Amino acid sequence: MIAEEGSAASKQEGTMKFTTLAATAALFSCAASAQAANFEFWYGNTGPVEVAIKAQCDAFNAAQSEHKVTCVGQGSYEVLVQKAIAAYRAKNAPLLLQVLDAGTLDLMLSDAVVPVQDVLPDVKWDSYIAGARAYYETTKGKLFAQPYNASTLLFYTNKTELEKAGVTKTPETWEEVIDAARKLKAAGSTCPFVTNAEPWIVFEQFSARHGLPIASKHNGYDGLDAEYVFNKTLAAKHLANLVDWRNEGLVRLNGDTKGGNLVAAFSSGECAMIEASSGSYTTFTKAFEGKYDITVSMAPMYKGEERHNTLVGGASIYIMKGHDKTETDAAKAFLNFLRKPEQQMSFVAATGYVPVTNDVLDAIAKSPDAKSAKYATAAIGIESMSKPATPDTRGIRLGSYLQFRQIWTEETQKAFAGQQTMQVALDNSKKRGDELLKRFQQTYKGVELP
Amino acid sequence: MFLGSTMFRHRWLPIFLVAPLAVLVFLFFYAPVFQAFYWSFFLERPFGGGSEYVGWDNFARVLSDPEFWKASGRTVLFMATASSLAVLVPLILAIAADRAVRMSLPARNILVWPKGIAGASIGLVFSFVFNPFVGVLAPLNSLFPGIWNPSFDGFDAYISLIVAHVWGNIPFNFVILLAGLRAIPHTIIQAGAMDGAGPWRRILDVQLPLIMPQLFLTLVLEFTESVTSAFALIDTITKGGPGGATTLLVYKIYLDGFSSYDLSGASTQTAILMVFFILVATLQFVLLGRHINYER
Repeated sequence: MIAEEGSAASKQEGTMKFTTLAATAALFSCAASAQAANFEFWYGNTGPVEVAIKAQCDAFNAAQSEHKVTCVGQGSYEVLVQKAIAAYRAKNAPLLLQVLDAGTLDLMLSDAVVPVQDVLPDVKWDSYIAGARAYYETTKGKLFAQPYNASTLLFYTNKTELEKAGVTKTPETWEEVIDAARKLKAAGSTCPFVTNAEPWIVFEQFSARHGLPIASKHNGYDGLDAEYVFNKTLAAKHLANLVDWRNEGLVRLNGDTKGGNLVAAFSSGECAMIEASSGSYTTFTKAFEGKYDITVSMAPMYKGEERHNTLVGGASIYIMKGHDKTETDAAKAFLNFLRKPEQQMSFVAATGYVPVTNDVLDAIAKSPDAKSAKYATAAIGIESMSKPATPDTRGIRLGSYLQFRQIWTEETQKAFAGQQTMQVALDNSKKRGDELLKRFQQTYKGVELP
Repeated sequence: MFLGSTMFRHRWLPIFLVAPLAVLVFLFFYAPVFQAFYWSFFLERPFGGGSEYVGWDNFARVLSDPEFWKASGRTVLFMATASSLAVLVPLILAIAADRAVRMSLPARNILVWPKGIAGASIGLVFSFVFNPFVGVLAPLNSLFPGIWNPSFDGFDAYISLIVAHVWGNIPFNFVILLAGLRAIPHTIIQAGAMDGAGPWRRILDVQLPLIMPQLFLTLVLEFTESVTSAFALIDTITKGGPGGATTLLVYKIYLDGFSSYDLSGASTQTAILMVFFILVATLQFVLLGRHINYER
C-alpha cells in the first residue's frame, strides 16, 4: 500500500513542473496520507442512498488528511453480512460495517465486534433518539453500534385523490383509513390502500406502536430462551383484517398492482394510501410534483389504543475486532464525523432518512430551508419513534430473525392467497419460529446476552 | 503405451502438467464439499468462535422438518417435469431441423443463441414476459380476471419457472441431439424409406434408437442441471414464493445459509442433496445406461 502511494507520489513529482496549483495540493494530501490509516467501510445500500453515503466518505476524506476511508458498496445488506462473515473468518475484516436492524443480535453475539460505546466512551450517547438507542443497545444500556441510516414507518396519502373521493381529513385510525378506502373504492379507485404485507411494515411496526409483544422475555431482551407470542395479540386480528379488506378490494398487495411494488404503485397515483418507510418520501414527492399533493403523518392506530414508539429501521455501524490503534483512531474520527449535525442534515435531505441525534432537529429548525420538503419526515419520524416506550417496544432481539421474517412472509402469503386462514398462518410461523429460537440458543450455548 | 513412451518419458511430467488443474478442482470443488460434510456434524456460529460437535443431530432435525420434505418434493417434481421437457422440446426441434425443411439451416444457428445468456438474465426477461399486467398473458387476464398471477398462484409461478428453464436449456440439448441425428448414415434412412417406412416410422424405429447415447447424455445432465440451474431463475423470477411454492431445495439452502447465516443447517441439507444426486446418477446408469448400445 505504502509502496504504491510512494510511486504515485514520485510520478506526481515528475510532472509537477507542468501542473497547476491544484496538482500541488493533491501531492501534499497524498504525501500526508502515506503515514495515516487507510480503512474500509462496507455499506449495503444502493440508489440515491449509496450516492449520499459516497458523498459522506468523500467529505470525510476532504475534511481531514490524517485518515482515508474507502467506502465499499456490497449491493445489499444480506450480501454485506455474508461477505463480512467470510472476511472475518479469513482474518481480513473491514474496520467498519453497516448492518441492518434485524441483524443486531447476530452481531452482538458474534464476538467479532467491539461496542462503539467502549471505543468512544466520551460521546454523549444520550443525545441519540431513544427509539434508535433502544434497538442497538444492550439490556444494560450500552450502545453496540452507532445508529446511522435510520428510518421508521410513516403513513402517506395522496391528498388530491382523497379529496376527489370526498375525504377531507387525513385518516388517523384504521377505522378512518377503511372508511376512506370505501369512499375511494366507491369513487372508482382500484387501489385505495397498498401494502407489501412484509413483516417490518404490517407486523413489527404495528406491534411496537400498539405496545404488543412479539416474543416473550420482552422480545428476547431478557434472554435467549424467548418464545414467539404474536399469534395471540391484536397483531393477529389486524392481519386477519388485512385479508378481509383485501377481499373487499380496499387493500391491495404488491402483486395486485400494475406498479408491481408498493412504492411504484403509490408514486404513480394508482394507490391512494400507503404505510411506508420514511425513506420513501423523496421518491414520492419527486413523482407527485405538479400532479398530486401528499400528506405524511404517523402510521394509523386502532381506535382507543394508546400510541407507543415505532421502531427504528435501517442500519447501524459496527466496529470490527482485529484492528490496531491507528485504525481504531480512524474509526473514531469517521464515526464522529458522521455524527456532526451538518453531515446528518445533508444525509437526511438527500435520502429521506430521519436524523439520529436530537440536536439535529434544532439545527434543521435554525436552517433557512427548515420548511423545505426534504426535512418533512425528520420531525414526524422522530416524534413517532419518541412516543412512550414499554419493555416490549425497545426492539427485537431474537436469534435467526432474518430467517424468521422469511418464514413469516411465506406463511402469511399462503393466507393472502386463501390457502389457509391468517390465524393458521400465524400459528405455523410461531411454531417454526420457536424451532429457530431453540436452535439459535443451542448454537450459542453458554453465551450470555450482553 | 505408445504415447507414454514417446511423449512423456519422465514419470512426473504428466502429473506436473495436470497439477494446476487438479489443485483448482480440489480447492474450488472438493474442499467446499468436505467443509459442507464437516459442518453438517457441528453447530457452527456464523462468525466462528464456537463450534460444537452434535453428531447426527443436524440430520435428525432436517429430516424431521416438514419444510425440508416439501422443498425436496418440489425439487423432484421440478426435476421430472423440467428435465423431461428440456429434452423433449429440443428433440422435436432437432428432428425438425434435421429434415430438409425450409429455413432449417438458419434455424440450426439461431436455436443455439440462447446458450450465451446467463440464467439471471433469462429470469429477468421472463419475469417481464410473465407479468400479469404488462406481460404476454395480460390479455388473458382482461378476459378472465385473475386467471394468471404468478405472484399469488403457486402453480402459475411454477409454470413460469419451467418455461424459463426449458427455453434456456434448448441450445445445449439441441446441439447434442442434432449432432446425433446428423451422424446417422443417410443410407440407413434411405434403406428404411425404400422398405416403405414413412417419416414417423423412421423416427421411431431408426433415428431415436440410434441417438440413444445422446438422449441418455442429455437426460443425465438435465437431471442434475435442472436442480442446480433453477437457482438463478428462482432468485430472479419468484424468490421462492408465493408462500414458498417455488422454494426448491437449492434455494432453501441458499436462504438458510446466506440470508439466515444458518451454516450448519445449510451444510446438512447440502450433504443430503449431494448424496441424493449421486444416487440418482447411479440409478440412471444402472437402469438406463446398460440398455444403451454405443456401437453403431
